[in-house]
Amino acid sequence: MNTDDDVRPVAASSKRQLTKTTLIALLVAAGILVTTVLPAEYGLDPLGTGAVLGLMPLSGPPIVPEEVAVPAGALPTPVQEGPVAHYPVEYKFDAVEFTLGPYDYLEYKYQLERGAAMMFSWTASGALIHDFHGERIGAPSASAESFKKADTSRAHGSFTAPFAGIHGWYWENPGGEPVSITLTTTGFYSAAVEIRSDRTRHPHELRSMETVIGAIDRGAAAIP
Amino acid sequence: MTRRLTISAAFALLLLGAPGMSAHDEFRIIGTIAKRQESQLDVKTKEGKTISIALNKETFISRDKKKVAIAELRIGRSVVVDALGDSIDELVALEVRLVPSLAAAPAK
Repeated sequence: MNTDDDVRPVAASSKRQLTKTTLIALLVAAGILVTTVLPAEYGLDPLGTGAVLGLMPLSGPPIVPEEVAVPAGALPTPVQEGPVAHYPVEYKFDAVEFTLGPYDYLEYKYQLERGAAMMFSWTASGALIHDFHGERIGAPSASAESFKKADTSRAHGSFTAPFAGIHGWYWENPGGEPVSITLTTTGFYSAAVEIRSDRTRHPHELRSMETVIGAIDRGAAAIP
Repeated sequence: MTRRLTISAAFALLLLGAPGMSAHDEFRIIGTIAKRQESQLDVKTKEGKTISIALNKETFISRDKKKVAIAELRIGRSVVVDALGDSIDELVALEVRLVPSLAAAPAK
């Protein structure tokens, strides 16, 4: 037969054990979260374990950057001298056309280092839902930073990347008729990628300005 | 001791599973309804591919931004489906929009 004296110590001990067990579980979970889950799922690697364990590529579909010849010892980021920025990478040109089907969307983005600039101009045959935004490399798309959102059919301007990552446009056709988009850009980017609504990624080939100028010199009728 | 470790491991796994479950991509499927079952919708895209999408209680079905009954999802109707999934083969619909018949498909 149990008395109150028999029961009390057991109950107190269980509570302490439960608290201890919970704390251990939380510590284990937090450890695995920081060392494994965050690098693999979100590309966040605060302790560097993701890089050591080779988990970083799991955090998102890879972007295949175009090989860019960088002078030895030079960083691909611009060097600012007052109002002038010097870029140790090639000046690129890109011109693309898309046709967006009814209710469809796509994204077109460039890989730019922090401080790298580009000029752009795009026009569409109809009004589009549009979001000009950037994503840090390896970060989830949900963490994208929006620079300009508007329903419009054209935009022209210049852009200086506030952080290294992929930067560009989301265009959505809100209507039932196809809409064509023409985009022309120049700048200090190293890769371009088209991301369609089925989440497939299609790298685009970029051209250096030297190639374009060479084509003009040779009397090319049109630059696509 | 074994029991304590088991509980700890189970709790840790539960916590770890939570962020993984939310790490999905959002897909848009545009096409006509090829088949509908109680919890699944088959949509034939303009490319001719049929994609199966799971429906659940949270799936919002609408026409002109107004909620409509699941019975409105009839074979042959044009729909725009926004869905979450790790790949196009395992999607769960967030929203199914009934839209007017789709125009001729353009090549991308």
